[in-house]
Amino acid sequence: MSQKEAAKEMLLEEIAKCRACRFCVDVCPTYQASDGVESMSAYGRLQILKYLIRGTLIFDDALAYLLYSCLQCRRCEVTCQSKGQNLDICRIIQSGRHLLSQNLVEGRKSERI
Amino acid sequence: MAVDAKKLQKDLAKIVGKEYVFTDRPTSLAYAKDTMPWDVEKHNMPHAVVRPVNSHEISLILQYANQKKIPVHIHGSATSLVGLGRPKAHCIVLDTGRMKTLEVFPERGYFEVGPGYHIGKLRKALAPYNALLPAFPGSELIATIGGFVSVNTSAHAVDAALFKPGDYVLGMEVVLPTGEILQTGTESTRKPAGIEVTKFFVGSEGLWCVITKIRMRLIPLPYLKNIVAYYKRTDDILNTVMAMYKQGMPTPMFFEYLDEKSSKIGFEAVGLKAPPGAVAMMAIHSSTQAGCDEKAKNFLEFLEVGNPIESKIVTDKKEWDQIWSSRAEAGNYIYRLGSTFGSEITVRTDKLKEAFHEARDIILNLDSYQGNEFFSFGHIGAPTIHAYAFIPTKDIPNEVKIAVAQEVRGKTEDLNIKYGGCGGEWGLTAQRAPFLKKKYGQTYYDLLVKLKKTLDPNNILNRGNLEGWM
Repeated sequence: MSQKEAAKEMLLEEIAKCRACRFCVDVCPTYQASDGVESMSAYGRLQILKYLIRGTLIFDDALAYLLYSCLQCRRCEVTCQSKGQNLDICRIIQSGRHLLSQNLVEGRKSERI
Repeated sequence: MAVDAKKLQKDLAKIVGKEYVFTDRPTSLAYAKDTMPWDVEKHNMPHAVVRPVNSHEISLILQYANQKKIPVHIHGSATSLVGLGRPKAHCIVLDTGRMKTLEVFPERGYFEVGPGYHIGKLRKALAPYNALLPAFPGSELIATIGGFVSVNTSAHAVDAALFKPGDYVLGMEVVLPTGEILQTGTESTRKPAGIEVTKFFVGSEGLWCVITKIRMRLIPLPYLKNIVAYYKRTDDILNTVMAMYKQGMPTPMFFEYLDEKSSKIGFEAVGLKAPPGAVAMMAIHSSTQAGCDEKAKNFLEFLEVGNPIESKIVTDKKEWDQIWSSRAEAGNYIYRLGSTFGSEITVRTDKLKEAFHEARDIILNLDSYQGNEFFSFGHIGAPTIHAYAFIPTKDIPNEVKIAVAQEVRGKTEDLNIKYGGCGGEWGLTAQRAPFLKKKYGQTYYDLLVKLKKTLDPNNILNRGNLEGWM
């Protein structure tokens, strides 16, 4: 297994812990700024990342925007720690961005990572 | 039927504005996922997500959907535990999240609220009016009042003490599946007698209408007195609940419990010493402090019927907060440590112990998975048995997850049938549609289908929930 594949597997394992309880959405500043669009929340980003890594979603402008608009403020993590699954949500999103960035830098569009 | 995504987006944007229509796959996917422990499948993916702000826009969306024969799935916050929140067909997801107006009329004795208002925020908003919101979900942070009224659940509260939210709904504004807007009920605090349709729409699980406004009584906040009781065995708590109903004791507003294993996890999670066995927590309510004190004293005496190791009134707020939160924390920790498959068994009160033992045997002897554990905690005073199958890993294939969920659901619902219950907080369609047929028979189910066809001839709203889904 390549390093990239191993990183994907590790990320998928982490994301699998998310129960989709959505307790984190309401504290997310980008969710609030969008007046409640769920793909603009921590929960939404975890789901998007999961299906991006699995190849169900392809990366395009909408997806890149959703992943890169996270402010990394960690408010979601406080909620996840006290009410949910205690996930390092921001680190997971950062790792997802890292995987995505290599493709974006190479100028590729609308592909699987 | 093939749907042109660009045209759909354009048509919906004419109704709600382009910033409130989403046809990108990431957003559709985020709305398609719910709390079910398996992934979104192809047939769950919506064509679009639309976010209307009022009943007029919803009316136009539904007229359009009927014209184009595109199903519409209503989205509150998708926290349902029986799959009500997941679209079952390629559809338009109608997110009620922007409909969160709130007007409180203390002089009229009610408030009016939009369906997208989150329960936790609504409780805070009603606090200055000394009002009780009769809805207590574990998902309070995000669950919506629209979802609550459409399932008519009081969640953790003991129904015999507090009733259902629908009992406090004075009237509603709803949009029928074909787009007509209806006003129901009354602006008086006295509800209509006789034939009146509010109660027909309350608890209709998005099959008959989209709820766009709810008028609800301002209920005076009761005084509460808290009791904790420690027992050797869960059976002692079950005996206590059965005796409570048999002896006609006034039921507490909350009566929660943790079984022997869950109590250790919950207590240690909140920094308390592990208790010797099972734990029960009760909140006694009354409209006056004196009444509350007396009721709590009487209830404490009554608790001796179950031979507790210790039972006491807890007056220290910090101590109570720790004890009370151990119930939620037990759930959180169990969910964190693996995969959990729940059930909702609400049997005749005289059969509670029998049903609990059978539920435990079912969970510990599953055909679809061997080696799982059994946990139980929740609202035993309601009475509700939440019997959980716990598998200490999250790494299970989708098909195994579905098989375990189906087996747990099917077999525990047979207990509901055997012992005269039907559940009391999770709703009766989606995953539970087969139970409806089994419990009440084909004629009953056919009646629901006829009603659905009458109101929704094109089967637009929440398609798949009444048909059954797993």
